[in-house]
Amino acid sequence: MASSISKAESAYIQVGLASTPPHRLDGRALNDFRTISLETGVAPLANGSARLSIGRNPHDNSGGTEILAATKLEVETIEDGGADGGRVVCTVTCSPAAYPHLSSNALEDLQHDLTIVVHQTLSHPSLHPDNLKIIPGKKSWLLSLDLVILSDAGNIYDALFMAARAALWDTKVPKTRFIEYKAKKTGSTSKEKDGMDVDETPATTSGFDTRQLTNATDFELLDYWDEGDVLDGRELWPVCITLNLLPPAAHFLDATQVEEAAALLKILAIFAFPAVQSSRLQGMHMLGPGEVTSTQMKTLIKEAEIHARELSSALNSKVKDEDVRRNQKAADSFSRR
Amino acid sequence: MGSRIEILNEAGFRSDGRRQFELRDLSIDLSKRGEADGSAQLSHGLTQVLVSVHGPREAKMRSHTFHDRANINVEVVVASFSTGERRKRLRGDKRVLEFAATIKSTFEPVIRTSLYPRSQIDIYVQVLQQDGSTLQACINATTLALINAGIPMSDFVCAVTGGVHSTSPMLDLTTLEENDIPHVTVAVMPKSKKVVLVTMETRLHVERFQELLNLARDAGAILHQEMREAILERSAGLIAMAEPGMKQSKGDEDVVMD
Repeated sequence: MASSISKAESAYIQVGLASTPPHRLDGRALNDFRTISLETGVAPLANGSARLSIGRNPHDNSGGTEILAATKLEVETIEDGGADGGRVVCTVTCSPAAYPHLSSNALEDLQHDLTIVVHQTLSHPSLHPDNLKIIPGKKSWLLSLDLVILSDAGNIYDALFMAARAALWDTKVPKTRFIEYKAKKTGSTSKEKDGMDVDETPATTSGFDTRQLTNATDFELLDYWDEGDVLDGRELWPVCITLNLLPPAAHFLDATQVEEAAALLKILAIFAFPAVQSSRLQGMHMLGPGEVTSTQMKTLIKEAEIHARELSSALNSKVKDEDVRRNQKAADSFSRR
Repeated sequence: MGSRIEILNEAGFRSDGRRQFELRDLSIDLSKRGEADGSAQLSHGLTQVLVSVHGPREAKMRSHTFHDRANINVEVVVASFSTGERRKRLRGDKRVLEFAATIKSTFEPVIRTSLYPRSQIDIYVQVLQQDGSTLQACINATTLALINAGIPMSDFVCAVTGGVHSTSPMLDLTTLEENDIPHVTVAVMPKSKKVVLVTMETRLHVERFQELLNLARDAGAILHQEMREAILERSAGLIAMAEPGMKQSKGDEDVVMD
C-alpha cells in the first residue's frame, strides 16, 4: 500500500508536517479530510450497497480512493454451519487496477490482511443485528458484506469502514413469516402463525410449562411493496479513524499515498456510538514500525474519539439524505406514471 | 408459480419490453479512475463492467516479455454481488481464466503491439453487475478503455450477443434469455467488417447461425457509432480543458473517421 518514495521526499513531507503552521502537500490542515462522496443503492441486485470515494477530483471524477460495498443476504440452515441468530461475514477484494504495482500473490496477501481487520471488527457479537433470524433454531440469514477496492489513494481503512457502514445502513432484510403445519383433528392441512404466539395450548401441556417452542418447519417471503425491514442496530456500526503518527507528538488524518509512505506508524481506532453521549472502542490496530508511550496513547485515543464522532455524525446525515433522495426519486417516478 | 415469462410474445415484445433487435440502454463513462492510463465504465442495461488499462509500461516479469512486441495481460475480477445469488469467485477460477483468455485473444490482433517491444499492456476488467451478455460488455468496455489510454489499434472492436428463440433471432440478451435460448457472442471490427471473435457454448442450427452473424455485424456498426460519439465527446472535453481560450467551433477540419 505504501508507495516507495525517496528519503528526500519523505523528509520533505515530514518537515512540512512538523513545522508551525503545518504544511501538507495539498494545503489541508492536519485534521482535514479530503472530499468524501457517497452514493447508496448502486447495486440493485444486492440487498444493500454503497459506493464511496475519498479525494476524488470533482471536475473529472479522477483519482481518489474508491470503494464499492454490497451486502447480500442468504438463507442458511443451522445444521449447515449457520448460527442461530444469523451470521455476518465480511470480505475485502482488491481490484488489480487499484494496485498495479503488486503481483497477484502480494495482492492476495493484502486482501487477506484487510479482510481480517474488517471481518473481526464487524462480525463481533456486540454489533450483531437482531433481525437476522428466520426460524429460531433452524434457519437464519447469512449477511455477506463484500467490499471491492476500485482504486487506492491513501486512507484505505477509513474508506473501508465508511463504505461498510453505508452499505449496512442501506441493507433491507426481506420480511419472512414462518409456517407451521398442524394436522387438525378434522383434517385440514396448514395453519399460518405470526411470530411466536401460540394461542391454542394443547391439552397435554401443563400450566407450569412456560417454554415457547415453535413447531415451525418452513417460512415464506412476504410480498411487500418495499424490499424489507432495515437491518437492526444500524446506527451502531463503527467508523474507523486512522491516526498517522509523526514523532514526537503530532498526528494527522486522511493521508495520501505519499504521506502514508512518509509517516510509517499508524493507529487505527474503530469507534461505535451506541447512544448520543456514549462511545465504544470496537477495535484498535497499530500498523508499522515504531513505538508510542502509554500517555501518548491515551491522548491519541481521546482525540481519535472526537474525530470519529464528527465523522460518524456526518456519515449519518449523508446516508439519511441518500435515503430521502432515493425514496424521493421512487416517489416521483411513481407519481409520474 | 406465477405465469411463465415469454421470451418473445406474439406482439413481438421480449420479456423486458424490448423489440426483437433492440439493444439495451448503453451508458459509457470515460472519466479517469485511479492511476489507470485509460479506463471505461460501460453498461448494457443492468450489466455493468469497469475496465482499467495500464500501459504500455515496463513488464513486471522480464520472462514474460517478447523482444518484438508488447505482452497483453488481461485480468478479470467478478464481484461476488454481481449476480442474483452471491457466488465468491476465486482468482484462479477456470471460468474466469477462460474469460480473460478470450478477451486477450480478441485484442491481440487488433492492438498494434509491434510498436512497443518488451513492454506490457495490462487490462483489468472488473465485472460489477451481470444481467446477461457479460462478454459483450467486457469487450466493448475494453475497446473504449484502450482508446482512452491512447493505445493504437487497427479498429474498434464491437461485440454483441445474439440468440435464437425458435426461429426468431434476438440481440443483446439478458440473463433470463441467456438461460433459455441458444446464443452466440460475436465481436466485429466495424470498418473492415471482419469478425474477431465468435464464441458459443450452446447448440445452434447452422442456418440460424448465418442469420445471427449478419445481424451481429449490423449491430456492431450501431455500437460503433455510439462508442465513437462517446470518445469524440470525451476528446472534445479534454481539448476544451487544455485550451480554454480556443473558440468552441465544430471540428470540420478534424479527420473523418469513417
